[in-house]
Amino acid sequence: MKMDHSLPLEYSSKQNDLNIFGFWVFLAAEIMLFATLFTSYFTLEHRTGTGPSGLEIFEITPVLVETFVLLTSSFVIGLGIHAMRLGNKKATLIFFGITLALGAVFLGFEIEEFITYVHEGATLQTSAFTAMLMTTLGTHGAHVTFGLFWGISIMIQVKKNGLTPKTANKSFIFSLYWHFLDVVWIFIFSFIYLKGMM
Amino acid sequence: MKELFPAKQITGFVASILLTVVALAVYFLNLSFAAGMTILLITAFAQALLQLVVFMHAGETEDKGYIYGKVAFMMFAAIVTILGTLFLFIWDM
Repeated sequence: MKMDHSLPLEYSSKQNDLNIFGFWVFLAAEIMLFATLFTSYFTLEHRTGTGPSGLEIFEITPVLVETFVLLTSSFVIGLGIHAMRLGNKKATLIFFGITLALGAVFLGFEIEEFITYVHEGATLQTSAFTAMLMTTLGTHGAHVTFGLFWGISIMIQVKKNGLTPKTANKSFIFSLYWHFLDVVWIFIFSFIYLKGMM
Repeated sequence: MKELFPAKQITGFVASILLTVVALAVYFLNLSFAAGMTILLITAFAQALLQLVVFMHAGETEDKGYIYGKVAFMMFAAIVTILGTLFLFIWDM
């Protein structure tokens, strides 16, 4: 395979280049997936029926913890990619490990939040509002959960094979996915939680 | 050790925290709906742009035109879907 050594490892072959571009195409489609969820949420957010409204069930503390944890994890994986470009395998693995640990903390808080909602009588079946709220949050949470397993498998490959053009490419693509989830969360934080509590 | 923490990423992180704190104004201050939504729209899209450029390295390679074009087109489709639906179902226009 033709290698261009002037570029970072993850871009060093044509195939790598195309993998990254292909992933951007996938992310663009993901924008549309979340856009349809937001559309349904905005349409149904006041259809609370006999169930609670957002103002009654949203709590600022867990939401803030989730936001800062995810923002930090997005920053840390950025450091991981930087370390990868320096060829520092150990630092890359440490940063990726911290990222995934923060992702697990985020998920813990989100699961706790869902349990609280259900105890307060806001289940998936309560109203159009709670159904769309949980579908939107749940789709994001499912992406984070998938990301945890994906990230762990990438770490195992880097640990076993070192930083090769192949593993660097996979790590970079995983970092794109992780940053994208952070961007989606920012929109959830702004237009579901903060708007709901305004 | 120092080379592992580049200034660009640190600045990006501080900016992302600041944007979040500014967005929190709508919770802690008693703003009108229009003022609150304006703040949220600005901080959310600024945050998205920041992640895209600083952390996702969108503009680093030769295909940056395609990447930005792809994302911009999908953002356009997303906004049309959201606003179009709101026009029809909520704002009754």
